[in-house]
Amino acid sequence: MRTAAVIPAYNEAKRVADVIKAVKPQVDEVIVVDDGSRDGTADVARDAGASVLSHAENCGAGAATMTGIEAARQRGFDVVITIDADGQHDPTDIPRLIDAIRGGADLAIANRFGQKNVIPLIRRAFNAVGNLLTFVATGIFLADSQCGFKAFGPTALKEVNLKMSGFEFCTEIIREAARFRWKIVAIPTKVIYSEYTLAKGQSFANGVRTAAKILLRSFLR
Amino acid sequence: MTLTPYQIVVPAISLLLIAYAWSLVMRQRKTIWEGVLWTIFWGAVGYLSMFPAELRYLSELTGIKRNETAVTVTAVGVLFFIVFYLVVRIEELSQRLTKIVRNDALRNADLKDQRDDR
Repeated sequence: MRTAAVIPAYNEAKRVADVIKAVKPQVDEVIVVDDGSRDGTADVARDAGASVLSHAENCGAGAATMTGIEAARQRGFDVVITIDADGQHDPTDIPRLIDAIRGGADLAIANRFGQKNVIPLIRRAFNAVGNLLTFVATGIFLADSQCGFKAFGPTALKEVNLKMSGFEFCTEIIREAARFRWKIVAIPTKVIYSEYTLAKGQSFANGVRTAAKILLRSFLR
Repeated sequence: MTLTPYQIVVPAISLLLIAYAWSLVMRQRKTIWEGVLWTIFWGAVGYLSMFPAELRYLSELTGIKRNETAVTVTAVGVLFFIVFYLVVRIEELSQRLTKIVRNDALRNADLKDQRDDR
């Protein structure tokens, strides 16, 4: 199974090179989608050995992820791993996600709450709200629906078509899973929160906007 | 029971919308869950239009008893719908722009098909 890692990145010049170097041994190719960064993220990623696609404007994590998935599809990959550019996920967990795909899953989702991890309370609270909204919108309950660390198997890779641009895309992926009846497997993984990753996190206002979009979309479709 | 035209037209529209939602579910454009949510919403609209007396409970719950208050609440509802519609339109425009940016990125990436390497 040829595997590509897709890393959506926005102003991540400080972190993205380390993430690429750690991900590279685990996959066949690393695709970074620079989402209109102004800090030279694209150059740093290219120097670190990734294939880089650049959005002319900042469109959001969902749009960047879909661009990366589309690129991987065009290049004939069988499996796509999506992973955050801020270094919060441990790339040594990638083989476990790929094993789940080999085992018959269409979508393997990392579960940051499935093993002992130090996660700030506010993050746990936001995630619980995200899980609840995802359940209301899709009818599927997952312990970590908002995690950006996922693996798409061949069927999911062929069928996925994300339309949401921002962070609500995590819920949209679950919605796609419900629509196409993919087999979902949750894999407990490590997560490393630092001052940097926490500073890059979502604001409360952004969370409310994301929630409104999720509910709006789920009703309008 | 004598039915007014309103009590025939609204439930008919509700039924039509429910049937439309399930046709979208069959074509995999809506999930089963969304089909159920639509059925509950439009089912309630159809039911209340046929049996408006059921709204008496709502009247007691909200305290809206006078016609003038009901008109004000309805007007606010209409304004809410207009804002809702505008938000949807803006969202659609934003999606179109995003699509242009995404296609542009893919076009400029000069991607090589990995299948050639196998």
